[in-house]
Amino acid sequence: MKRLHLVGLIAVALCAASAVHAEGDKTRGRTLVYTCNGCHGVPGYSNVYPEYHVPHIAGQNEQYIVNALKSYRTKGGDRKHPTMSAQADSLSNEDIADIAAYLSSLAK
Amino acid sequence: MTRGFSLIAIGALLALTATQTFAAGDPARGKTKIATCVACHGQDGNSVDPQYPRLAGQYADYLAQALHEYKTGQRGNPVMKGFAATLSDQDITDISAYFSTMPTRLSGLEGHIQGE
Repeated sequence: MKRLHLVGLIAVALCAASAVHAEGDKTRGRTLVYTCNGCHGVPGYSNVYPEYHVPHIAGQNEQYIVNALKSYRTKGGDRKHPTMSAQADSLSNEDIADIAAYLSSLAK
Repeated sequence: MTRGFSLIAIGALLALTATQTFAAGDPARGKTKIATCVACHGQDGNSVDPQYPRLAGQYADYLAQALHEYKTGQRGNPVMKGFAATLSDQDITDISAYFSTMPTRLSGLEGHIQGE
């Protein structure tokens, strides 16, 4: 019986934790993505050296966007891309959460 | 009228041919190589768990670039590095072609910014 209580508590804690995760502000995110639009809002736009299409980001999954943006940060980041690093360095954790909340809400 | 229509048809045909040449990968062959991917990214590349990216409908050349970067370690991710290490250049092109052709929930950012 006691164990059941414990399992219940853990389940509640997990739910609360994921709710906190999803806390980005979509409305604020919408104003923040203005800069992203310069590349990610140009149909067919390509990165150069090497050349490949700049990815679609509208509708992408929320936590993935958070992780990706943080990875582009110069300090401790796992992704190297000069333009994206400059952007990511200028964003706070809250900015990133808001951007991710807005972009993921655009899934078709 | 007929002439305009023929022109459009020819244009469409050219566009299709061009896309196929550009993609170079074979989606059908790619489909046979994605057994490992589907556990996290889903059979059609529309990952349900929000920590994994949707691959369906993403640009094939971007997917290929990402896989190459995981393979070389330029994009650091221990899990993806392990998987990418087992893929040849042809595998990467085929897998990227497959996911890029799946029904997508992604789009460009055009039309989604403030004031538009």
